[in-house]
Order: sequence, then structure tokens, then C-alpha cells
Amino acid sequence: LHSRKNRQKDWMKLIYSSSLTPSQILQDEKAANHEDDEADDDDDDFFKLQKGSILDDEHIDMTKDILTTDDLKAWGDEEMLDSIRGLFITGSHDAAEGEA
Amino acid sequence: MAHSGSLIHFSGHQYLRNRLVLSILSGKHVRVDKIRSEDKNPGLRDFEISLLRLLEKVTNGTIIEISVTGTAILLKPGIILGGPVSHECPLSRSIGYFLEPIIMLAPFAKKPLQLTLRGITTDDHDLSVDLIRTVSLPHVQLFGISDGLELRIKKRGSPPSGGGEIQFLCPVVKQVKTLNFIEPGKIKRIRGIAHAVRVNPQFSNRMIEASRSVLNRYIPDIYLYSDVYKGEESGKSPGYALSLLAESTTSAIHCSEAVSQPGVPPEDIALHATRALLDEIKQGGCVDRKHQTLVLLMMVLGSEDVGRCRMGPPTLRTIQFLRDVKDFFGTSFKIVPAEPSDASSTELVYSCYGSGYDNVSRRLA
Repeated sequence: LHSRKNRQKDWMKLIYSSSLTPSQILQDEKAANHEDDEADDDDDDFFKLQKGSILDDEHIDMTKDILTTDDLKAWGDEEMLDSIRGLFITGSHDAAEGEA
Repeated sequence: MAHSGSLIHFSGHQYLRNRLVLSILSGKHVRVDKIRSEDKNPGLRDFEISLLRLLEKVTNGTIIEISVTGTAILLKPGIILGGPVSHECPLSRSIGYFLEPIIMLAPFAKKPLQLTLRGITTDDHDLSVDLIRTVSLPHVQLFGISDGLELRIKKRGSPPSGGGEIQFLCPVVKQVKTLNFIEPGKIKRIRGIAHAVRVNPQFSNRMIEASRSVLNRYIPDIYLYSDVYKGEESGKSPGYALSLLAESTTSAIHCSEAVSQPGVPPEDIALHATRALLDEIKQGGCVDRKHQTLVLLMMVLGSEDVGRCRMGPPTLRTIQFLRDVKDFFGTSFKIVPAEPSDASSTELVYSCYGSGYDNVSRRLA
């Protein structure tokens, strides 16, 4: 568990007192997550949005995130589908997140 | 207005909509330059000019100056007027592009807004009118804006030719309520709207069936509705789409959508929408990614008390929005992990002290 500690980032500092662009902030996170995944294979390797390379300039003012079919491929996996059962009222056993 | 006269300056065409909204709400002038100045086709696009025109229509006394090259604009906001407004949206962007900023402004108008927009009702870039109706409006209701809030889809219009028409009705409020939404609850039901215009009407059913094949494992309360539009009401171009939403026991809503693409069967479109919904659910929190900025804005405008909301990590747009909000309103958010003891959780609690925003336009009435 301790290996994941660096995932908790200081959002306030990044947003309000750094000069990083929004995409740099998010890229940084993806990089950190990636390291994490290597360090801990049990970790959910869910949606690595492979869009880090999109430059700010090319980004148009739009609300939807572009998720490609590849981004969502992980959801073809039964284990992946089962991993969020705990977030539904019918899911009984303990899940990683969303416990009441 | 207290702050009129002060000028905020930005560069680039990014995030233009939110900045215009923040300018009008705060009364601060905004100047945006270097709009695609490096582009081989520099300056504002037709949809951006159209948005400026729409903002002129819903306000009174707004002064917009556009430089000769179109690469710089200056906006001196007037009051938000409301009342009956009708606008033709260009086919380069969907109605959602125009409606999203209007939803942020309309509650603070002098008179209730009755807005008619014509154009494309569903596309890949912005929220479709279905998601705005079923997801965005309930988010606005969280803040006590509800009586008379309505979106009617009169005609559907698919890209490229559009032909759709909607009517948006919004009441005015004096102040918005403070939000305290930190319990995500558990997903209790899934709803969806499938529509298919000017194509085989069976496409709706094929999408519904494909989506159900994945979702049925989770909960029994799933209702995916096939919305039928015929003749004039179905617009000028063929197209179909599936919009999904998952609602939790505490009324947190996550949503997703996928729109027809040439050569892709309806089953694959449905699967895409379904997986995107699961992805959104997995993010957790009480508000989904597409509605972060709307909710955060209303929190800033809330009464003078601490508002709190649990959400996933901020999106690109949200990060910039938080910075822009600080420039216009001086409000910064406290953002802390929602589950400090669980290092694998990426959920965050956003809190801020509401600015006690008063509907100035209404007071003038």
C-alpha cells in the first residue's frame, strides 16, 4: 500500500500555486499512476487515457471527454465488470470505493 | 455593479465559454487576445461569434468589441435580461455548446428565460439535449432552482444538417442554495434514451439490447427508452445515439453517451456508451466529470456558507475553470482527499465559501 502513497497529490498547490498548464498537471498524474502500476501489479490498470500528448492548442472548447474504443477496452473483461459491483445497491461485498 | 470597470485578461481561444460566463456573472470586463493568431485561419470561429450574439440577446447593455482580425475581443457585460429569446445555432457546433453557458446564466436573469434554439441536438463534442435535460437540469435543481425549469425537445437534428429545435425554460432565483453533497450512495437505477432518426427505427432497439447485455448483471431497475421522432420532427440528417445515466440512492448521477458514426453498427455505439458509463461510475463521487464546472460554479455563487461536494479528480477544463474562478470571484476551493485513510481512492472533497451572489438583475426589476 505504501507504494501508492504518491498518488495523493496536492491538488490545491498544483491548481492555485503552480504555473503548470492543466494538461501538464494531468499528465503528471498519469505518469505517476503508471509508475504505480508497475510497482504494484495488483493495482487496477483501468483506463489509462492515452491522450496525454494532446497539446492545449489543439484542444477545442468541448464538454465531453473523448474516450476511444481502446480506452474502454478494459471493460470487455469480466473481472473489470465485477470490480464495480460494490458501487451498486445489489453489490453486497466490500468494494474499493464508494462504501457508505 | 460593484466590480465593473476592472478588466481581466486572457490569451487564446481556450475555455472561452466559461470565461464569458464568469465575466457576465461577476460584472468584470474581460479581454481575450491571441485568438488563434498563429493559425492559418486566424480569429474567432463562426460558432464563437454566434455565441457572442446569443449572449448579447440574453443580456441588456452588453458591449462586445471584436478586433478587425477577429483575434481579440473585449466584453463589457450588461445585466442578464432573460425573457423570450430565439437563436439559430450554426451547424459547426451542437445546441449543447450554446446551451451549457446559458444554463449557468439564466437563473440570474431579470425575467425567466424562454429560449428557443435551432440546430444540431446531439453530437460528439458537447452535451446532447438529452443529457442536458436528464442530467444537467437535476444538477441545477440541487441549488434550489427548480420550479419551471424545463427543456423540451421539439425536433431532433443530427449532424451535418441539423434541423432540430429545443425550448429551454428557466426560472429566476434571488440566491442559490449552499450545496452539501458528500455521500455518493449506491447506484439504484439506470435510465437511458435511444433515438434513431431517418434510419431504420430498429436501430434504437438494437442499441438498447446491446446495452442491456452488459448492464443487466448489476441491477434490475434498468429502463432504456426508445424515443421516436417522425417526419418533420426528426430533422434533416440521419443519425442515432444512446444516452445513459445511473442514479444513486442519494441522487448522484453519472452519465455517458455515444453517437452514431458512419460504418459502425448500433451495437458498437451502444457498447461504447455503456462502457463509458461504467467508467464514469468507477470515478465515484457525487457529480460526474462533465458536470464538474457547472456544480463548482453554483457553489461559488452559493450563499455565504461553506458548500461541499465530493467528486473525482478535476478534468482539464475544471483545473482551468478553478483558476479562472479565482480571477473573477477571488474564490479558491479547498480540495482534499475524500478518503484520507484509503490511498487507492482518487475521490476528492471540494469545498468553498459561497460568495453570497445576489441576483442583481432581479433586484433592478
